[in-house]
Amino acid sequence: MLLEISGLTKYFGGLAAVSQFDMHVNEGEIAGLIGPNGAGKTTLFNLVTGVLRPTRGKVMFDGNDITNKKPHQVAKLGIGRTFQLNPLFANFTVLQNVSASFHLHPRSSLLDIYFNTATYRNNEAYILEQSLEILKLVGLDGVKEELAKNLPHGYQKMLGIARALAVKPKLLLLDEPIAGMNPDEIDFTMTGIRKTRQQGTTIVVVEHNMRIMDLCDRVVVINFGKKITEGLPKEVRENQEVIQAYFGGEHVA
Amino acid sequence: MNNNQLSKPATGNSKWTKPAIAAGVVVIIAILPLLLTSPYTLHIFILTFIYTIAAVSLRTIITSGQFPLAHGAFMGVGAYGAAMIAKWLGWSPWLTIPLGGLIAMGIGMLIGYPFARLRALYYAMGSLFFGMAIIYVIWAGGSWTGGYSGLTGIPPLFPIGTSKVPYYYFFLGLAVVSFLALYRFEFSRIGINLKAIAQSHLVASSVGINEALYRVLAVGVGCFFAGLAGAGYAHYTLVLSGATFSFMATLWLVMYVLIGGVNSFIGPIIGTFILVLIPEFARDLKIYVPFISAGILLIVVYIMPQGLVSLPQLIRSKFFERGKSEKVTNAP
Repeated sequence: MLLEISGLTKYFGGLAAVSQFDMHVNEGEIAGLIGPNGAGKTTLFNLVTGVLRPTRGKVMFDGNDITNKKPHQVAKLGIGRTFQLNPLFANFTVLQNVSASFHLHPRSSLLDIYFNTATYRNNEAYILEQSLEILKLVGLDGVKEELAKNLPHGYQKMLGIARALAVKPKLLLLDEPIAGMNPDEIDFTMTGIRKTRQQGTTIVVVEHNMRIMDLCDRVVVINFGKKITEGLPKEVRENQEVIQAYFGGEHVA
Repeated sequence: MNNNQLSKPATGNSKWTKPAIAAGVVVIIAILPLLLTSPYTLHIFILTFIYTIAAVSLRTIITSGQFPLAHGAFMGVGAYGAAMIAKWLGWSPWLTIPLGGLIAMGIGMLIGYPFARLRALYYAMGSLFFGMAIIYVIWAGGSWTGGYSGLTGIPPLFPIGTSKVPYYYFFLGLAVVSFLALYRFEFSRIGINLKAIAQSHLVASSVGINEALYRVLAVGVGCFFAGLAGAGYAHYTLVLSGATFSFMATLWLVMYVLIGGVNSFIGPIIGTFILVLIPEFARDLKIYVPFISAGILLIVVYIMPQGLVSLPQLIRSKFFERGKSEKVTNAP
């Protein structure tokens, strides 16, 4: 088990954004975390990656307790993530976004960097090579010199994934990778995610768009901060509670 | 931040063009004392060199997304630190000048750590009040700091009676060395990390960049050079007053950076030279300096958001490459 979340609870004031949440992720799978807007999906990611501190509960990753770790420490242990909004370094080029994200592997010491030693120059050459490889993997090598802020929405989201891959993550957390995309962009992104998994990265993907389930081996459904159900995509699709949460007797979300 | 300053010194025909221009300018400035022998003119240039160091180092902190309003006060920390050690302990100014930088760096990093949690306006306000507190400490320092009447009897860097010329070359050299050090800092991966944090601290920390560490590092390095400049100032003017390092001093440094161009390394250098030298050459206008500066700032904000550095590019695009002008004006 790569990631194990147990009894995770987060209060904002008196409101429980996440309550008594349990979830595990096995090595090599794509796990989906779906639920309507405001269900607590992003809060959960922020709790796991140290952006927020949980009120209660425990997060274990790869044998380490990461419950109260800071974001950069969590990244160092091997969790990469993307963001729903604000997904990149807007004024860097696509290539610079990825190369700047290679902070950890390989890591140069401050003195090596400042004095431009052979170690640093070798590391930078390696980083450039790796960055180009990642851009090729996610299909962005054609726009590597564009400023990130000038990219179309779908490409920006994909760049977010490319950036997260620079952490060389064992686990990749994707926050709404296909939200707000047109069908072409969705196909482009889903292909990219599949290729990433083939490279051996375990993935948790948060979405409210049900199409994401095509990718997932297993799906966890969350609503009002609580787990409603979990299972194979097919089972979840037919679950009455899920249909209730999504459609709520009203129109399609 | 403008991306083309990120990893490569952009534009220019070869990678030697910019260093060659910079070296040429330094040589011209180095020849000046042969032509301009008036002590007053040399004095103005010396002060300009000192303030460029402070302005450039202020910009270094700004690249990390922090906007401190205490940089003048950190010059004061370096100045008083160096002056007091030299005066009361009898240390040589050649030691106390770098030491002044280190003291400012130490205090900057100490205060920078809790401040690394503050953002934007809160950071600016917090640093503003910290800077004011430093001045009050200087005023309250009694005979140690000279209090309100100022600190006198500071040992000079060169023996008393020396002309301005050695000081001119000392501070020119100090400025050039400081610029080289800060340039390397900015255009290495350290500077890239700082710019990454400035654009999105969430994304930066998600790829493993220790945000607090890098922000404190930027403040430490920026304050070191402010303190260095201040310490040099102390051993040159030999008289210090708390008012010299008040909030107004900080504001002028901010003006030098903004008017010259915050997105460019040479921006603050150009800004300092123009704002210090213009009023000196048109001395009748001196009382209007705040108005002139405010006017220049407005013009810069409206026409050249990238600062005076972008003037050549602006002229080129307006008159020679019509239709491409939006490239300059749609600044972040």
